[in-house]
Amino acid sequence: MYQAEGLTKVFPGEIRAVDGLDLKIGAGERVAFIGPSGAGKTTLFRLLNCTLKPTAGRLWVGGREVAHLHGAALRAARRRIGTIYQQHNLVPRLPVIHNVLAGRLGTWSTTRALLSLARPVEVEEAHRALQQVGIPEKLYARTDELSGGQQQRVAIARALLQDPDIILADEPVSSVDPTLAAGIVHLLTDISRATGKTLVVNLHSVDLALATFPRIIGLRDGRVLFDLAPAAVRDETLAALYRGAPATGPAEGALDAPLDPATSCRPLPRV
Amino acid sequence: MPPLTRPPVAVPFPGSRPSRFARVFALLFGLTAAASWWAARVDLPTLFSREAFRNALVFVADGFPPALSPTFLFFLIRPALETVQISLLGTAVALVIGFPLGILATASLAHAGPLHELDLSGRPVRRLLRFMPYGLSRALLSLFRSVPELVWALVFVRATGLGPFPGVLAIGVAYGGILGKVYSEIFEAVDPRPLEALQATGASRWGVFWYGMVPQAFPHLVSYTLYRWECAIRASAILGFVGAGGIGQQIEISMRMFNFGEVVTLIGLLVLMVAGTDALSLRLRRRVL
Ligand SMILES: Nc1ncnc2c1ncn2[C@@H]1O[C@H](COP(=O)(O)OP(=O)(O)OP(=O)(O)O)[C@@H](O)[C@H]1O
Ligand SMILES: [Mg+2]
Repeated sequence: MYQAEGLTKVFPGEIRAVDGLDLKIGAGERVAFIGPSGAGKTTLFRLLNCTLKPTAGRLWVGGREVAHLHGAALRAARRRIGTIYQQHNLVPRLPVIHNVLAGRLGTWSTTRALLSLARPVEVEEAHRALQQVGIPEKLYARTDELSGGQQQRVAIARALLQDPDIILADEPVSSVDPTLAAGIVHLLTDISRATGKTLVVNLHSVDLALATFPRIIGLRDGRVLFDLAPAAVRDETLAALYRGAPATGPAEGALDAPLDPATSCRPLPRV
Repeated sequence: MPPLTRPPVAVPFPGSRPSRFARVFALLFGLTAAASWWAARVDLPTLFSREAFRNALVFVADGFPPALSPTFLFFLIRPALETVQISLLGTAVALVIGFPLGILATASLAHAGPLHELDLSGRPVRRLLRFMPYGLSRALLSLFRSVPELVWALVFVRATGLGPFPGVLAIGVAYGGILGKVYSEIFEAVDPRPLEALQATGASRWGVFWYGMVPQAFPHLVSYTLYRWECAIRASAILGFVGAGGIGQQIEISMRMFNFGEVVTLIGLLVLMVAGTDALSLRLRRRVL
């Protein structure tokens, strides 16, 4: 589904957020990215969902090179990729239903989109998507009145409604409690398994990643540090991934944990 | 080895000194302000002198007592209504001109920023095509608003004759230019992250605009438009001086007759009307926020 060769994104100030990345992700694969804060995960996802233009290197989505996509072809490619953003990126003043229905904007005409703002269409579908993430009662609530975790689930419902071939989930469960987090990640993997959608996530919860995904990629300083099956990921591998990272690195709560004398590293938090 | 601590590297604190641009700009601003003080012949001693005070007082005292006879007050209903009508219709015309031009004049929607990063890369002709309506609408808006509404009124009075209609057109065009510019700045300032998320679903630019920009900008759009309506009431008074109807025309007639009592009544009426719109728009604003 994805192929990258030397993919690089440099931000002003010589910040090499993604630095010469080589990557291959097959159709229907389920991959989890892990890595310290600032490793370039979000930037990589914005490259993968055809928002940012790579500074160097090449990227193919579904066999087509992204640099050659423009106009209608670019929109069509984006339509097939559903992104769940780390910061949810919802429109705060809009009722939940419109934020969910926004998943359909890629297929709707402008007229239909406008009419739906006045009188929502496809309400059934929006309701079902919200049911899947457990907040059907919030259909007509105003989005900025929802809790952080509820907003995150609205963003997931939007991606469900978009019904893409590829789901990119950037920290999809960062603001929900651990039980719900596992539930949502399983929802995504179940959907991927049932429909053959490619699922690429990025998780700060390493345990959840190791337990749920058949392929784990460690990202650090914009480079792939390892690309392994979860069974092959050892404590040393993880220690190297998070070494010297600022305290906000692995996850909240990590600082409270005592140092592990064997690796002189704090153990990774359990979910 | 204590790993999870910060490496002892001295990290320079970025942005702690104002950039060179900021310093040059501040210097130029200061110099310009000083030059303007001199060029505008600001003369505070004269302004606050006893003589200035007395002259002003004499001028104002001519207007007392204000004309409050029932016939005069009754007669005022028509011009007052006319002023409200001019300002309302004028603002409506301004909205019709300003909203579409404001959309075209929004750079983040037209050609710049992350919404276009991938789409326009390596396509200079496309970029130029996108830039043209943007540049054109900016030019048009700046023409509309840099010609004062009084001048527009003179033009339209010539074109359509005396009465409220040229007042409506003058306010519509001049304020259309102002609204369009401010709208585009409001659109420009919305949080871009929801826009990016909408675009990532494959939404067109119109989809991104209606679902992402308008909802975020809405309260500011309403608030500013209402403020402009209030300004339009005042402006329609000035426009009356050149024959564009309403209270303004009445003020001009009374002044020409040296009937300052009537002038004071008329100005009092204007103050009441502006205060009225202010109260009304406050309630409207509360509803949309
Ligand atoms: N728009 C931008 N402009 C400049 N620098 C940026 C921009 N976006 C990201 N960066 C920088 O790129 C680097 C990688 O950021 P990115 O958001 O991809 O990290 P991340 O792995 O997602 O981190 P986190 O786990 O905290 O979300 C950081 O150093 C960040 O400061
Ligand atoms: Mg991130």
